[in-house]
Formats: sequence, C-alpha cells, structure tokens
Amino acid sequence: MIDVRDLRKAYGGVVAVDDVSFSAAAGEVFGIVGPNGAGKTTTLKTIAGLVEPTAGTVRVDGQPADAAETRRRLGFLPEASPLYEEMSPLSYLRFFADLYDVPRDVADERIHDALDRLELDDRHRERAIGDASKGMTRKVAIARSLVNDPDVVVYDEPASGLDPLSTNYIVEFTRELAAEGRTVVFSAHDLHHVEAVCDRVAIMTEGRIVASGPIADLRREYGRTEYHVYTTVEVPDAVAENGRYRRVVEGMDDVREVESAAAARGGEVADIRTVEPSLEGLFLELADPSTSADRPEA
Amino acid sequence: MRPRTVLRIARWETTKGVGGLDRGAVAVVLAAAAFVVAFGVVGLVGGVALEDGIYRVGVDEDSPFHDPVAVDDALAVVEPDPAVVDEGLRPGEGYDLYVESGPERTRLYLVRRDGEPTDKSLAALAAFRESVEAYNERRMRSEDNETAAFPVVVTVEFVERGTDGGADDGGGGPDSDGTGGGGGEGGGGDGQDDDGGLPSTGGGDGGGFGAPSIGAFDLFGTAGTSGSPSAIAPPFPFQSLVLAFLFVLPLNFVIQAYGSSMLSERLDRRGELLLVAPVTPAEIVAGKTLPYAATSLAIAATVVAGLWLIGAGAGPLSVLAVVPLSLLFLALTFLGAMFARSFKELTFVSVTVSTALTTYAFVPAIFTATSPVAFVSPLTVAVRDLTGAGVTPGQFLFATGPPTLVAGVCFLFGLGVYREEDLFTQRPVHLKALDALAGRIRRPRSLALVVALLVPFVFVAELVAVALLFALPVALSIPLVLATVAVIEELAKALPVYAGFVNGRYERTAGVGAAAGAAAGVGFFLAEKLSLLVQVVGLPDVAVADAAFQTGLGSNSLAAVAVLAVAPLLLHVATATVSALGASRDRTAFAASLSLATLLHLVYNLAVVSRLV
Repeated sequence: MIDVRDLRKAYGGVVAVDDVSFSAAAGEVFGIVGPNGAGKTTTLKTIAGLVEPTAGTVRVDGQPADAAETRRRLGFLPEASPLYEEMSPLSYLRFFADLYDVPRDVADERIHDALDRLELDDRHRERAIGDASKGMTRKVAIARSLVNDPDVVVYDEPASGLDPLSTNYIVEFTRELAAEGRTVVFSAHDLHHVEAVCDRVAIMTEGRIVASGPIADLRREYGRTEYHVYTTVEVPDAVAENGRYRRVVEGMDDVREVESAAAARGGEVADIRTVEPSLEGLFLELADPSTSADRPEA
Repeated sequence: MRPRTVLRIARWETTKGVGGLDRGAVAVVLAAAAFVVAFGVVGLVGGVALEDGIYRVGVDEDSPFHDPVAVDDALAVVEPDPAVVDEGLRPGEGYDLYVESGPERTRLYLVRRDGEPTDKSLAALAAFRESVEAYNERRMRSEDNETAAFPVVVTVEFVERGTDGGADDGGGGPDSDGTGGGGGEGGGGDGQDDDGGLPSTGGGDGGGFGAPSIGAFDLFGTAGTSGSPSAIAPPFPFQSLVLAFLFVLPLNFVIQAYGSSMLSERLDRRGELLLVAPVTPAEIVAGKTLPYAATSLAIAATVVAGLWLIGAGAGPLSVLAVVPLSLLFLALTFLGAMFARSFKELTFVSVTVSTALTTYAFVPAIFTATSPVAFVSPLTVAVRDLTGAGVTPGQFLFATGPPTLVAGVCFLFGLGVYREEDLFTQRPVHLKALDALAGRIRRPRSLALVVALLVPFVFVAELVAVALLFALPVALSIPLVLATVAVIEELAKALPVYAGFVNGRYERTAGVGAAAGAAAGVGFFLAEKLSLLVQVVGLPDVAVADAAFQTGLGSNSLAAVAVLAVAPLLLHVATATVSALGASRDRTAFAASLSLATLLHLVYNLAVVSRLV
C-alpha cells in the first residue's frame, strides 16, 4: 500500500532524510522510531504529500503521495493538534468531511461513529474546541483523520502529551484501525506502545534507517539475550538483591563460570532467568550514532 | 480551481470568523458603525450643529440686523433690554453681543469684564460680521438685475497643466465641455460671461463636474464661487479626499481581519491540515480571500449607493473602479501575512501596505481635473464617475489594469510559498520575500518569467513616482524620476536573480551569473512593453511621464524610435548582467554591482532624455 523508495529530503544544505526505503501493506501497523531530529516527521509528511521529496519516490497504492486522489484516501494526524478553537468539534469535522466530498448524511454518521469510538461525550461535541481538554482535542483531531474513511492513516506521535489512560486508549484505537484493513504508519516516542502495536518498525537516526523489520527479527539480529544468574553467595560483579546475589551475563559459558565461582565460595546457583532484548534496548543501541560504525547495514 | 471547493472554504472562513467574535464585541462594533454612519449622514445632509445658538445676540425685530442673526444657526436672537446697556454690557446678563440700531447709526455692545471685552463676546462679534456678510451676499445673488448686483464678473477656470509644466492659456481644458455648467466656454477670454450673467456652476474643478451641491456643504465642488475675490479659492481635491476616506478607510479594517486570518493559519501550523486535504493551495487562498473581497465589494457598493441616494452621479463604474484597489489591498496583505512571523510583524506590514496604497490611491486622484496623471489611481475613475465627468474604456483600462495585474502577481508569489516547507518556517521577512521569488525559478527561462511578472509592480511604482513628482518644476522632477526609475527597474531585475542564488537554484559561477542576468534583462525588456499602455491616456503628454517611460513615440525621428526600441534591450541585459555577476558571488558584491548597474541605468536615462525626448 505504501512504498517509500530512496527517499531524500534536504532543506538547503541540511539533509533531513537520506536514502530511506520501506513499505507497509494493508492491515499492517508500521512504526517509525528514533530520537528527535531523526527525520521521522519529515518522512511521515512526505507520505502525507505535505513535503516534496528532494529525491526518491513515495507511492501510496501506486499513486504519487501528493496526488489529489491519494490525499483523498489518506488520513494524517500531525504531532500537534492545531484545530480551529472557535469551532465546535461537529462543525469542524463537517467542514473537513465537506472538503473530502463526503455527503452530509454519510459524514454525520462517520463523525458520530468516530467520536463514539473515541468516547467523546455528547456535551463536548457542540462546544468550542478551545474549551476542550488536550485529550479531547486530540480525539477530535483523530476523528478528523477518519472523516474520509481513509485506507491509509499516517499518525505522528498520536499520543503526544496525553495522560497514560488516554495514551493506552489511542494506542488500542490504532490497532483497531489496522484490524479494519487500513495501513497505519506512525511514529512514537513511547517504545512500549510501539512494541505493543507495530507489526514492523524502522529505527531512524540522523535521517537514515539504521534497522527495520519485525521486532522479533530485530531482536534476533541486533539484540543480545541476557541471563540473570542468582547465587546464594556473593560472586564477582554480582549485586545483592533480596538476600541473594544477581549477576548479568550473556552466554551459557558465562553462566557456567558463575556457577563455578559460587561453588568455590560454598554456595550455589539459586535461579537463572532469560531476559529478551526490549525495543528500548535495541533503540538505545541502534540510535546511538557512536555505535553506528559497528553495526551492519540495515 | 474548483469553484465549489472555493465556496466551501469561503463559507467556512465566514462562519469561523463570525464564530470567533464575541457577541459583546459584535454589538460594540455595530453600535460604533451605526454611530459613524449616523454622524456622517447628519454631517453630510444637515451639517454639524455643535455651535447652534452658541452666541446670544440682543437685537430688535425691527433692526435690519435681525434677519442675519436669525438665519445663522450659531447666533441666537435674544429679546433686547435697553436697560442692560445703560452702563455697559456685563457678564451674566444673558447676552454675548448687543445690537442697538438707531435711525442714523448702529451701536454694538460687547460684554466687558474689568473694562476688557470677553473672548466669547469678541467671537460673537466675529460670527455676527460673517453672518451679515453672508446675508448680504445672498441678498445680492437674489437680485433680478445681476449686473447691478455684481458690476464686474470674473470667471475663474482651472485648466489642465501643459507639457511644459505650466498651465495652458486660453480655451477650456479637456474637461471644460460644459457638462458642469457655464464655466467652460468663457475661460481664458475676456473674462466676461457672454450673457453677462452669473455662472451657475463651473468653479472649483474646471467645470467638469455636474453633481449637485449636497446638504450643508458642497461635496463635489460644484457650487458657484461668484462673489468677492477673496471668496475664490483654488480647487481643493475634496472629492478625492472624501472618496479616499469613504472607499479606502473601510479597506483598512478588512485587511486587518484578512491578514490576521491568513497569518493564524501559519502560526501554530493550523493550516497544515488544510494542505493535507484534497484541495490545492490556490483553492484554499481563493476561498479564504473571497469573503473579504466580497466584503470590500459590498462596502464599495454601499458607499456608491449612499452617494447616489444623496444625489451624486454614482454608478456601477465606481464600484468596478474600486475592485482593483480592494484586490491590491488584499493581495499585498496576503503577501505580508505569508512573510510575517508574528502578529507584531504583520501589524507593521499591514500599516505599510495601508499607507502606501492610500498614497497610491489618493495622490494621483488629486489631479483628477487637471492631468492624465490622475488615471494612475483607480479612484480617479470613481471620482469622475461620481461627478458625471465620464471615463473612456482606455482610461478605465489604464487606471484599473496595472493594479489588477499587481494584485494577481502578489497572489501568485504568495501561493508560491503557500506550502508546508515555507508556510511554517520562521525566516526573516526579507528572506521570505526572496523565497517567494525563488519559488517560481527553476531554470533561466523561468527566471525571465519571474522578472517579467514583476513588471506590473515596476509600472505601478513608476506611475506613482510620476504622480508624486510631476508637480515639481521640470528641471527637478525629471532627474528625480529618472533616478527613481533606474532604482526600481534595476531592483526588479536583480532581486529574482539574487533570490535564485540565495536559494541554491543554480551554481554560483560567473558563467551562470551572466546567463541569469541576460535572461532577466530579456524578460524585463519584453514585459516592459506594457508601458505602452500609457499611450491610452495620453500620459506622454506630461513631460515627466514621457521621461519615465521613454516611449519615444512623441519623437518625429524614425531613427529615434528605432533606437528606443533596441537600446533598452541592450541596457537591460547589460545592467542585469552586472548585478547578476555580483549576485553570483555574495551579498556585498551584489550590493556593489547593483549600485553600479543603477548608475549605468541612470546615465543611460539621462542621455536618452536629453537627446531624444
């Protein structure tokens, strides 16, 4: 559905995105993560047709991203929700539905359906948006991205600035959108949620994708499985924890070495736990420019 | 552009704007507007009555001075009591002035305090004298035997200024066709009206205006000016002043709202979501502009209808004449809103726009009755329409075409930066302006097109310069206008080239600079042929205008015409190349080369004018 090839975007002499390629299929949630200034937002805006690529192509269902027909099928949610505060959610959403040539009765049905799903209660629907809380404003912004019943939704930090409850809700909502067959591309700082929602992710830093693929594959390729070995006696490099001693090692040879050390001190290994690498761990590993020289090409 | 989409956005802009207004604020604005209208109508129709009965004058009903006092609103007749003047008039006795008419002479008593007349009493005396003079004047006019009343009649006629900067002598000017009364034919002759009668109109503005006198004062300067020589005043551009106020002042309010709306799309990135929708920037801008353009049109139509109701010869032409002015206000405000980074900067921009355009609209219109220079301003068309003087299609085109083109070009350049990458950046205004120019540049051919698009700006700027300077002595005005023209034209050619270099549209090499300069020069040369439009209204008849536009068509020499056709091409290519070579290096080199190019242009202008014009 979305195909980004060799995308490059430069602002004057500053390269925001460099040689980025990825694709996302219908029904898939594709996440883009990376530190601030990594090029995530520019990439998403290019998909939304807002930013013209300096080089490379961005196609949505085979059509250029900036084509009117593509925009008609796409829902975009920017990181901030700069709505027209003097309007009510209903009039605001109706206006945008109108711009997408959605008939009034269909628009009203979609708008109420989206607001129901987002649990925006009736009393806030007719009031000025400026009087609403940030969470409610964000929900209106999400509802706006759905008034045209898009095949593709592009969300930039959809839960930005929201409380944990609202964040969870919006993340779940994102999952539902994909379950309905829509292609979802989104960026987020909260890596736990990316991990929970995304089928595949791309990790960006300094405008380039340094790793991409299913999270499990990334773990396998870039992550390191850790073993937390608990002993009854103190061994070198172990830390005391609840009356026992924990040492973190990376291979079975190391485990056996800890076992020997404990036995030599009259103790034994009480427990061994395997800890899979988290996305956060991968992110910290991969997004650090200082480690880029050691890593393979994505 | 899809009209339906534009209308949707326009409707939204209107409802959004109305929704953003507090009801209390709306009520205050409506009340203020109603007050202004009411005050204006009272002022126009009934006159301002703040001084009604301010001076109390004791005068007997049998006194010959009773009627002059009674008819003057500022004076109030008070029943005289001879006892109060026995020992002199004192404050607090109910009089400001006391008239004691005897069979042989009249005594006037002033109120005195400590032996000195009070200020109010002296003011009452002055008002009394004016009232008596005006009364006598009216009496004289109403005499059947006008020759007896006014043994000598001098008809003053203001004629069109000639090409030498002085007034034509003898004969009526083009506007003295008698449409406004009898002032035309007798001008410049022996000063004696053929029939010995008084001219009914024809004073003021050369007899070209036939609108009736309105209310308490003569709005369109059509009333007679016969009377004592001291009563005859040179033509004051009152029509232009009133129309500038009526037409231009409301536009200032409209552009404030418009600029604010356009800028608020940029601040906080609110307009980003519109850009994602399946609508083009042109549709967004057209939709957002339409309500304000319609409001401007409605205001102009209301003003014209109001003037028509009170007797001026206003018609649809007046409204049509104001349309380009409204578009120009909106277009420049739009451009300003695209460049400004904050409401503070927008205020500065909109005040500049307002001042510049009011000058552009008002100053040339001052010369409505005396010079074709007046047609630089569309307001002149409205003035002539309102006064029944008539406008030819050529004059209409000349007055309204350039501002319409400039408005179109402003919208075009503004649309060039109406995209995510430019809309939400916080670059300084001058860099944004360069971005707008560079936004349309892709290759040398498009550079020539951008330079050509600036020619309407150049044309209007030069026309305004002519209008501002032509009243000066020719020896001063021509060098000044030639220098101004050189600066304007060199900037128009050089800035797009510089913008291209600054925005990395082409490489910074001398070769590219030369090519860009040549393209800019050719583009400017081809587009400046627009200046031939000045022929439509006979502007070259004005020496300073002919110097500015150098049409050469006034010359009898074929060779001169041929030289004037080719020489500008060489000039523009040469000077643009000089500037472009500097632009290809850095800002300092650009400033130096632009100065050199301007100097070369000025030398050329002086040479051409001294030899051929």
